[in-house]
Amino acid sequence: MATTHGTSLRRWLMSLPPLEWTVQRLRELLIGSLKCGPIPQHIAFVMDGNRRYARNHKLETVEGHHLGFEALARVLEVCYKSGVRVVTIYAFSIENFKRSRWEVDALMDMAKTKLVQMSQHGELFDRYGASVRILGDRSLVREDVIREVDRAVDMTAHNEQAVLNVCFPYTSREEITHSIRETVRDFSRAPEKPRHTKRPFSESHIQRNIRSRQLSSVTEEDRPRRASMTFTRDDGTNINSDAESTEISDQDFLDSASTLQPASSQTSHSTSPILNPTSTTTALASSLSPHSAQHLLDPETLTEAHLTKNTYTAAAPPLDLLIRTSGVYRLSDFMLWQCHEHTELRFLDCLWPEFDLWTFLPVLVEWQWRQRRERSGKGAEAGGVDTAIKVA
Amino acid sequence: MVGVRQQAAFHSDRDANGRPLSASEREKLLKPYLPAAPKTQATAQPQQNGKQAKLFTHKPRVRPAIRHAIHYLLFTIIHTVFSVYIRVRQVYHAVVDRVLAILYYHHRTPELIKRDVKNLSKVPQHLSVILQLPPEGGKKDRLETLVNDACEVAAWSACAGVPMLSIYERTGRAYAMHRIDVKAKANGVAGILKSSLPHLHRRIERNLISYYGATSPLKPTVSLRAPHLPSYSPPHSPEPSSNGTTESSRPHITILLISASDGRQTLVDLTRTLASMAQDQKLQPADISAELIDAEISESVMGEPDLLICFGDRVVLDGYPPWQVRLTEIYGVQDHVGGVEYHVFLRGLYRFAKAEMRFGR
Repeated sequence: MATTHGTSLRRWLMSLPPLEWTVQRLRELLIGSLKCGPIPQHIAFVMDGNRRYARNHKLETVEGHHLGFEALARVLEVCYKSGVRVVTIYAFSIENFKRSRWEVDALMDMAKTKLVQMSQHGELFDRYGASVRILGDRSLVREDVIREVDRAVDMTAHNEQAVLNVCFPYTSREEITHSIRETVRDFSRAPEKPRHTKRPFSESHIQRNIRSRQLSSVTEEDRPRRASMTFTRDDGTNINSDAESTEISDQDFLDSASTLQPASSQTSHSTSPILNPTSTTTALASSLSPHSAQHLLDPETLTEAHLTKNTYTAAAPPLDLLIRTSGVYRLSDFMLWQCHEHTELRFLDCLWPEFDLWTFLPVLVEWQWRQRRERSGKGAEAGGVDTAIKVA
Repeated sequence: MVGVRQQAAFHSDRDANGRPLSASEREKLLKPYLPAAPKTQATAQPQQNGKQAKLFTHKPRVRPAIRHAIHYLLFTIIHTVFSVYIRVRQVYHAVVDRVLAILYYHHRTPELIKRDVKNLSKVPQHLSVILQLPPEGGKKDRLETLVNDACEVAAWSACAGVPMLSIYERTGRAYAMHRIDVKAKANGVAGILKSSLPHLHRRIERNLISYYGATSPLKPTVSLRAPHLPSYSPPHSPEPSSNGTTESSRPHITILLISASDGRQTLVDLTRTLASMAQDQKLQPADISAELIDAEISESVMGEPDLLICFGDRVVLDGYPPWQVRLTEIYGVQDHVGGVEYHVFLRGLYRFAKAEMRFGR
């Protein structure tokens, strides 16, 4: 490690117990007092600048990544202690696979050792009530790393107080594509209708009952005028004879449907759309596109919410703040879908390994300040916004 | 945050004597820095012992109260100090802005703008700006201001040699003829709404004339486009190329007008189409790839801009099309309150070219 004279002196000073204790208290105090105001519920970090930091300090690239990881630990501590619920970090982009093979392998190894360490300290995570989730395309990661990932995720899955989203091999375009694909899949599949527990009445029985009643009414009423109404009676018998065949064909259809959708139970499956009031919309849809299979959702009902539901961050609250370090003013394919609305983007000039409470604090306080001002100004603004929406 | 010694231990995963750490040793190192364990068992216990235990267990009341008071006090102090700081910063930035606005002013002269961008190593091939509809109740007509801003930005871009400009405005009102409804007319803002593309084109053209002069052979040609609307580029016939300059030698700028409905909504529309195709068995969900979406989106809306300039006081995308901003350089001036100003535009271009901006020319 490159230790210049100044840093080693500082290091020595900081390791003095009383000073260390004071700094520690001070931090706790600051974090505690931050909690008095509004706190962003979801923060995303782009941890950029590890390599440049390593280059500037004449370290190895991997060492830079290690320092970056330590910075992450510091930031996470601040976030969770101050009450941020979800932290999303951009750990590894799909594009990063294009880097040198050696570096990619080293990064993967680092991820693995950190995950192994993490799973050794499960209860530490429990202290923070934090659970780990991995977002991204798992199919690109090495087998042994995936195993560690799964172990860490499973171990912390029961914690609900805070979430750490690690975007592992992730790009936002891949995420949006994934979301669109899943949504299309949802819509091309018959929806899982809320199945009631077994009901004592069978629909086919009711249907048969109705038919037989129609039949008997036809036959009974028309008996006196049999000669004039042969046609109808013929029709009636036709129905009668057809009843068996339609029954069978319905059954066939049911079978084919149930092979498509094994979860459906035959008794509650509607054989006729008219008899089932809940299926009116699907009947409408199928009448609009006659050759499509029954019970598909109408694509026109698809909204943003469906797509949002299928993104990786569906469970997280909306993104409040996105911080990118190292003076790069791009999103670089991160959280495009999530941050394009009201998220405040902050681009900082410091490199990620240098990022700590003292650089994070001004950002957080400014966010709080703005939030408080907006909240106080909201009452006055609400009217204007309302009319603007109406006009639009 | 852990102390320096512990940090070093974690970094090398070894203790002071150089032995590798075991899991339990690592935990011991961390113990003092952890928050208190969640008190789920602690609260459950005393109730078993009944009243007597309750009498003797000490329930801390004073200390948390004091701590809370101190926190609140500190919070107030931080925010007071911070609001002073931010006011000072705002004033400072406002002064810088004013100075820059005086130093760099275009004086409606294309040559000056050209000279400003002359030293830049690169100019964005596709520039995008976010304009905001000014809040209601201002002195001027809101839409008029917006259209003016759009015209100005268009003229600067044309002078700076940007071939493609996209203007984002959330509501899309300045140009969205097809989105007018009766309510808007009733509200009395229909004056400019009637206009749509031809009107805006006329305005931009007039503004360019004020920059270049009516007959300048260098005056760029403009074509105006909005997604799902046909491109509007009137024939430049009135002045046939008699004086030797052919049409191709004149610079051309394409202006694209986008609104919030070209953002997520477009992706939703695409998904709808794909979903109905999948329902008709014309497409397998597995066929959907990023390339397919990219091709569709860039064809129906636009490609990726190189530079995005926000004229607000902070960087918020405000519904800007998400798919396209992937690698876009995003520029915004901190604490900028002046709206659409030339020096912001120029600073954006400087940032994009990674050039230092010096005071004076």
